Amino acid sequence: MAKDRMDAGRGRSGKPVKPGSSTGGGSKRRVEVRPSDRRPFYVLLGAIAVAAVAFIAWQMTQSRSSGVITIDANTPLPEASGYLMGNAAAPVQIIEFADFECPACGSFATLTEPDMRKRLVETGQVSYRFLDFPLPIHANTWDASMAAACANEQGKFWEMHDQIFATQDQWATQATNRPKAVFSRLARAILLNESQWDDCYDSQKYKLNIEANRREGERRLVQSTPTFVIGDKQLLGALGFDQLKAFVDSAAAKAAAKPATPLGDTALSKSAPPGKSKQ
Amino acid sequence: MTRRMIIAALALGGVGLATYLAMYKLGMIGQLACKVGQCETVNLSRWATFLGLPVAVWGVGFYLVLFLVALTGTTERYVHAAWVSHALLALTGWGVLFSTWLTYLELNVIHAVCMFCVISAVLVTVTFLVAVLEWKNRPAEQS
Repeated sequence: MAKDRMDAGRGRSGKPVKPGSSTGGGSKRRVEVRPSDRRPFYVLLGAIAVAAVAFIAWQMTQSRSSGVITIDANTPLPEASGYLMGNAAAPVQIIEFADFECPACGSFATLTEPDMRKRLVETGQVSYRFLDFPLPIHANTWDASMAAACANEQGKFWEMHDQIFATQDQWATQATNRPKAVFSRLARAILLNESQWDDCYDSQKYKLNIEANRREGERRLVQSTPTFVIGDKQLLGALGFDQLKAFVDSAAAKAAAKPATPLGDTALSKSAPPGKSKQ
Repeated sequence: MTRRMIIAALALGGVGLATYLAMYKLGMIGQLACKVGQCETVNLSRWATFLGLPVAVWGVGFYLVLFLVALTGTTERYVHAAWVSHALLALTGWGVLFSTWLTYLELNVIHAVCMFCVISAVLVTVTFLVAVLEWKNRPAEQS
């Protein structure tokens, strides 16, 4: 063993051999490296390891500090107004409390809502109001609500709403813990001003509006999503178009027989939609 | 500095790079420091997972094995071991194939390029070239 160590770093002739050079003939090659020649190698490995650890640690610090934003502590909680589609003075108002990450809400948005828009909203029979009701079990739903609120700022809430529900599998908690990348792509797809949307999203400026919508749901004892309010009925779970139409017809008949403030509602029937929600 | 040492150093750099991407994928780092390209689009695409694990985690394993094999090949005991040269060639060859596939996906399927993936692809290609030289000059097989 000691002999082996002594021989290390020497060629067959017993002379020291340069690292990487060959001794012996033919295909045989014997690379000998003296322990002292390994020192720069170990120093290099150490430098690479230290640089990698330092970079990763710096990145972790950066991302932690970027998660904190400063807001005005005196900002009042806005009134819950949701996002209105159609004529606010329509005979029947449909209110939906929805969580963007809830599959049943996605099912309603993609299967029933297109019919509802075309056959009930566009014909002036109903107005439809969407209120965020982010559930605590869904880690990415607040981000989705903020993405939609920032699209609303540019008058494209419903476009973003449709895209968010259509791509639920791509940004839901099971798919990613960083949904913003998906929402950024959606913002590009619906031709939003990207930097404006980005600034809005990062500032979380509509968080209180979303919170107000959620509290309105709590006030109405909403416990799950989607929850619909049609006339004097509060309904749990996604509705098919025929079911929805039946409740709308019933509410319309009651409204015609006894014209009154729908639901005895306060804030929702009076307030204008925030920002630029349209249709 | 022998070729095996060069491979070990490059592989250690790869371990750091892949660890960074894996930590991002696992939610331990908020945003990637991606100055060029669309790293998040690539890393959040469905192609960023391979056989149930994030590709970055496979990358950590790959570079770690490559590093350990190359490092072993620099020790006195294994400095003449031909199997180390074979293993390095096989590992880096596989790495190049896998990187080529990922680059194809980035360009033609995901339509986004990740700066860190490009760095990794270059790293593994350089490592492969060094491994080819190492293999050509490998020690004779011990009988």
